[in-house]
Amino acid sequence: MGAFAAYTIIGLGLGGIFSLAALGIVLIYRTTGVLNFAHGAMGMFSTFVAWQVFYGWSHPFWPTWLSTLLAVLAGLIFAAIMGLTLEFAVFRWVRTREPVVKAVITIGVLLALQSAASLIWKNNQYHLPIYLAPQQATFQLAGVPIGANYIVIVVMALGLAFGLGAFLRYTSFGRAMRAVSDSPTSASLWGVPVNKVSAVSWMLGSLVAALAGILITPFINFDTTSLTLLIIDALAAALIGGLVSLPLTVLGGFVLGLLETYPTIWIQSLGFPRLVALLVIIAVLIVRNPRGFAVVAK
Amino acid sequence: MFRVLAALVAFTVLARIPVGFDVGFKFDAALAVIWAFGLLSLVLLTGYVGQISLCQATFAGVGAYTAGLMVAGFHADYLVAVVAGVAAAFVLGVIVGIPALRLRGITLAIVTLGIALVFDRYVFQDHAFEWFTGGTAGWRVDQATMFGLQMDSSKHLMAAYVVLLALFCVVALLMVNLHDSGAGRRLRAIRDSELAAATMGVNLTRYKLLAFGMSAAIAGLGGSFYPLVAGSVSPQPFWLFTSLQFAAIAVLMGVRYVPAAALGGVFMAVVPDVLTRFGHGTFMGRAYDISYDWFQIAVGVLLIVQLIALPDGVWGDLRARALHAWSAAGALGGRKVKVA
Repeated sequence: MGAFAAYTIIGLGLGGIFSLAALGIVLIYRTTGVLNFAHGAMGMFSTFVAWQVFYGWSHPFWPTWLSTLLAVLAGLIFAAIMGLTLEFAVFRWVRTREPVVKAVITIGVLLALQSAASLIWKNNQYHLPIYLAPQQATFQLAGVPIGANYIVIVVMALGLAFGLGAFLRYTSFGRAMRAVSDSPTSASLWGVPVNKVSAVSWMLGSLVAALAGILITPFINFDTTSLTLLIIDALAAALIGGLVSLPLTVLGGFVLGLLETYPTIWIQSLGFPRLVALLVIIAVLIVRNPRGFAVVAK
Repeated sequence: MFRVLAALVAFTVLARIPVGFDVGFKFDAALAVIWAFGLLSLVLLTGYVGQISLCQATFAGVGAYTAGLMVAGFHADYLVAVVAGVAAAFVLGVIVGIPALRLRGITLAIVTLGIALVFDRYVFQDHAFEWFTGGTAGWRVDQATMFGLQMDSSKHLMAAYVVLLALFCVVALLMVNLHDSGAGRRLRAIRDSELAAATMGVNLTRYKLLAFGMSAAIAGLGGSFYPLVAGSVSPQPFWLFTSLQFAAIAVLMGVRYVPAAALGGVFMAVVPDVLTRFGHGTFMGRAYDISYDWFQIAVGVLLIVQLIALPDGVWGDLRARALHAWSAAGALGGRKVKVA
């Protein structure tokens, strides 16, 4: 029973990360109609920037909280700049093209980012985690110790989902974003700044991806590919939310995290969770009407 | 008739080209044909039928592992191994085509990406599938015969290359002819509008499954020669990023044109090798070393630029320019030239 509870906590932590990654995908897809296959790669690159600051450039005599703060800030600032750059340099020019063409462009972004990262940081496996909460801090819940990092992840996933939901619902800029997602043409006729909206959603999406990447570092031995390949779990979670709903996406992320963690009790395999993700994707596509997804991207 | 002649001329010229080069470039030439098969499979699937797929390298990998299993495990003739590899890829293609009956566009891209990832990380690498993949060492193919001829990789690379090239020319010719045949028109009708095609009486289920199966078989045909050319099979050449590169390079070169697949195959096999071979030295007092990563960066950036600037791909754009120049020249001479 203790093992089961421990796996549940690991699964929830992993699920929180999937949720965060998926939130960025849903945000970008809703407002710009781009299904971002490069989302994992963007998060990976920002994570490596944060990692570089934390382990490469910070002074050994600095307190840990300072290095952590600087590293996370550097990663997030880099992510914001990268999101804006992509919007201005690439996706602004293909706004009216079909969704498939935009998706193929993100594959180009994925390939370029992945190789650039492996050029800079080589193809090594790193296990050099960045802990946002003190590593040793644990809580006891019904006799099961829970690391503070797991709580940070879960709280952050839930908070961002509801925060972004509230932002979209109650602020005027959020209303503008939803208007663009319904119809860019009529939104622009009503005076909604479509370019600004899509720039902001790329920036926000990239930020969330960076956050997910930084938070996953304590979980896995990461290299440039494994973080890039987080995309498939994120896409599975996003599909559970129908590529539209933020709360359902977060729920899907947690469910997927648990589904991928429980089999590891019996099956010692690095690849098996990928099969779980694929089965979840196929199951979701069978249950939901697949034509429903195309509504957003006209 | 013109097409058969063109294919024959292309075969004769291309078969001679690698003769004067060292083993490395001969290997590149054979690899170029294998990758060209992968790109050709996308010309059929994406260019003709309009279905997106991000798992073509998986089909090639299944072909390669099946051929390796047949030769190294059962000591079969390589011809049998190739037939088995193509058949295995065809079956997997039809299975992948089943979800594609209901999916289109980006959802199909997600599913095929997931399939490529499952095969990359699980099937090709997990010990549960050792009977198929030959364990971490993979299958070693050093004593292969085909039509009773010795065809192992180190000494008889050119023989393997010529057989591959001949097969590619035949398949490419069939593909060009398919484009204008009745079946090709039905496939292209599916690309333009599934609803309209179904209304015209095209059996969507049959043709979509057939397209996926044939496309996987073409990729598997190339892949099943990989153990012969490389001497062994490993998961790395058929991992997810090869699938993504297939999609990227096929679109970059022009996904609707058969010759673009050959162009892309050469690009994909030769350019990285030339880069890593000659791309190191010193420039202005600084040592530089160009690694394989630069190739993939170039592919990504070129794909983005191409999709913004030349939507029909490199070959498509060149073709359009050539046809325009031809018709302009015809107009100057006072003749009327029909531009296809």
